[in-house]
Amino acid sequence: MSDQPTGSAGTSPMGGTEARSARALASLLIPIAAVGAALALVPLWLGDSRVLMGVAVLGLAFVCYTIGFNVIFGSTGQLFLCTGALAGIGGYGAAILTDTVGLPIVVSILIATLAATFTGGLLSFVAVRRSLGVIFTGIVTLIFSMSFEALLLGLSDLTGGDTGRLIYSGTDTFLREQIPPYYLMLALVLVFLLVHGLLQRSYIGWAFRALRDDEVAAELAGVDVARYRVYAALIGAAMLGLAGSTYALTEGRLSPTTFGFGQVDIVVLVMLAFGGIGTLFGPTLGAVTFTVVDEILIDFGQLRQVAYGILIIVLFLGMPRGVIPTVASLWRRVRGLEGSDAAKSTGSAAGRLESVPGESQSAE
Amino acid sequence: MTANILDGIVLGLQFGLLAAGLTLVYGLGGVLNLAYGQMGVISAIVVALAMDAGVPALPAVGVGLLAGGLLGLLLDQTILRPVYRSRGEARVLLSLLLTLGVSFIVDGFLIWRFPLKALSLHIGGGAVEILGVLMRRGSLLASAITLVTIAGLFVFFRRTSLGQAVRSVIEDEEGARMVGIYPSRMLRLILILSGMLAALVAVTRSMVTPVDVTGGLHMTVFALIVTVVGGRGSVAGALLAGIILGIVNVVAADLIGTYVSLIILLGAAAVTILIRPAGLLGVKE
Repeated sequence: MSDQPTGSAGTSPMGGTEARSARALASLLIPIAAVGAALALVPLWLGDSRVLMGVAVLGLAFVCYTIGFNVIFGSTGQLFLCTGALAGIGGYGAAILTDTVGLPIVVSILIATLAATFTGGLLSFVAVRRSLGVIFTGIVTLIFSMSFEALLLGLSDLTGGDTGRLIYSGTDTFLREQIPPYYLMLALVLVFLLVHGLLQRSYIGWAFRALRDDEVAAELAGVDVARYRVYAALIGAAMLGLAGSTYALTEGRLSPTTFGFGQVDIVVLVMLAFGGIGTLFGPTLGAVTFTVVDEILIDFGQLRQVAYGILIIVLFLGMPRGVIPTVASLWRRVRGLEGSDAAKSTGSAAGRLESVPGESQSAE
Repeated sequence: MTANILDGIVLGLQFGLLAAGLTLVYGLGGVLNLAYGQMGVISAIVVALAMDAGVPALPAVGVGLLAGGLLGLLLDQTILRPVYRSRGEARVLLSLLLTLGVSFIVDGFLIWRFPLKALSLHIGGGAVEILGVLMRRGSLLASAITLVTIAGLFVFFRRTSLGQAVRSVIEDEEGARMVGIYPSRMLRLILILSGMLAALVAVTRSMVTPVDVTGGLHMTVFALIVTVVGGRGSVAGALLAGIILGIVNVVAADLIGTYVSLIILLGAAAVTILIRPAGLLGVKE
């Protein structure tokens, strides 16, 4: 896994742009496939335990949430404090559409995802239009989250209020078996990684980086900052809605805490900070690590929260770029000292977020 | 209806006072303290513990206020030190994330130490009639304390040179520095004050309704919303926004039901932010 698929000096020089783009695609697909293969082995190990498989599925849902949040916050600096609410629109929307309205499962997932996408896009559009900064975007989306929670508690006929509701659709399908839901969520993770990876390599990704690094300069260079912010929010919100609705249907029951601010948003923020904001594989590594740590510390009950508080402080004080990028660049520096000048120059380039896939790879 | 509006004003003044502590720190130092509610909750617990141990109400509240002030000082001396090294939006973001961590630590500890405990301070008791409306003595006392504190704040900021020094830093930090005011000292002072305000509001709230030990985040979020609606760094704006939102909340709760009222309240806040990002009485930057 330590092989670098990018830019090998040994192969004969391939001239055409076609070959170059094929190589670029391989450099994206190989690490994603590696992540998929590693995660696909988990049921072989935990498959006997219903409880642990449930934890694993939830962990993958959090990987999806963190990727979605990363597309919005990490790519374009919009602090959306409504990850849980957008996923909840997907989750509750799908539940209501299948059970109460009676639509087929796939159709209701699609509609619920569209609703989440639209909401995310609208929030971003409003924030961009009023040119709200990071903090104000955070507060407006936080207000949206709280309204959503109030709505869940209030519309108890549809949502079951405080106690939550069951989802009857899909009861006899593979969605409620022990292992298939895991692979369904894993498929979502891989698709999201691929979409994010392709985005990063496209013109849109270039625009994202430009506007995140320097908004004014990006605008001067001809990047329509407002438009790309809304694009990021649409894509991220679609991921959140799809993951939320899929997770809801595999879980079969929902409560306000399933998508609560404290239970989702804050956790996702910590996972992303741990993995590395703006990186491709950071969200996955952060969320997986965090799920495992959470399961190990489960006996400590509420004191876990104390540990997370300390972790947040240490993370943001010590390594604001994220643990994994920091460790990766340290590793690179060590290797750079031993190696040739060429290795040194890649080491300094790794300080920036550009060579993201390579970075997270060497951290594995 | 009169009763409702009175209730709303009392609630609103408490919102406003709560937000005043947050908005001053935000306006003065660009620090958003998300552990703000927890400072109040800890102080209220200190008061409750002191009263359980047989301390009379008044000294107990005094000890609680002292605890709030000490918590403010503690924040200033520890977790906020690295925050002071950054500037602008990065500073706000870092302060927000670090104090979020602090609020986690406090909440986790409180739930572990005092599980399922709601704080209800029995000060006052009984009911009296005002303007033809029956009001509980506890909530009257709470309103009186709130009003006196607000008056005190205004006297402090308008009449004393220390208060004017604080205001000058909010308006123009560089200018204040040039005439020999240390912004960092003013910030320390205001953090202590803000801790005491959080303590005061938590204590007066728990005289009216039970306050959950995990209610810190809720208090913080409300204070944050009122702060933003009122305008950064403006005590008068925070009070105005607090009163408006308090009345909206109580009246809407009476007319339509509690959950819709919360949504209306939040919607009103969101619309205000969108129409006037600088807040009701905030200064445009």
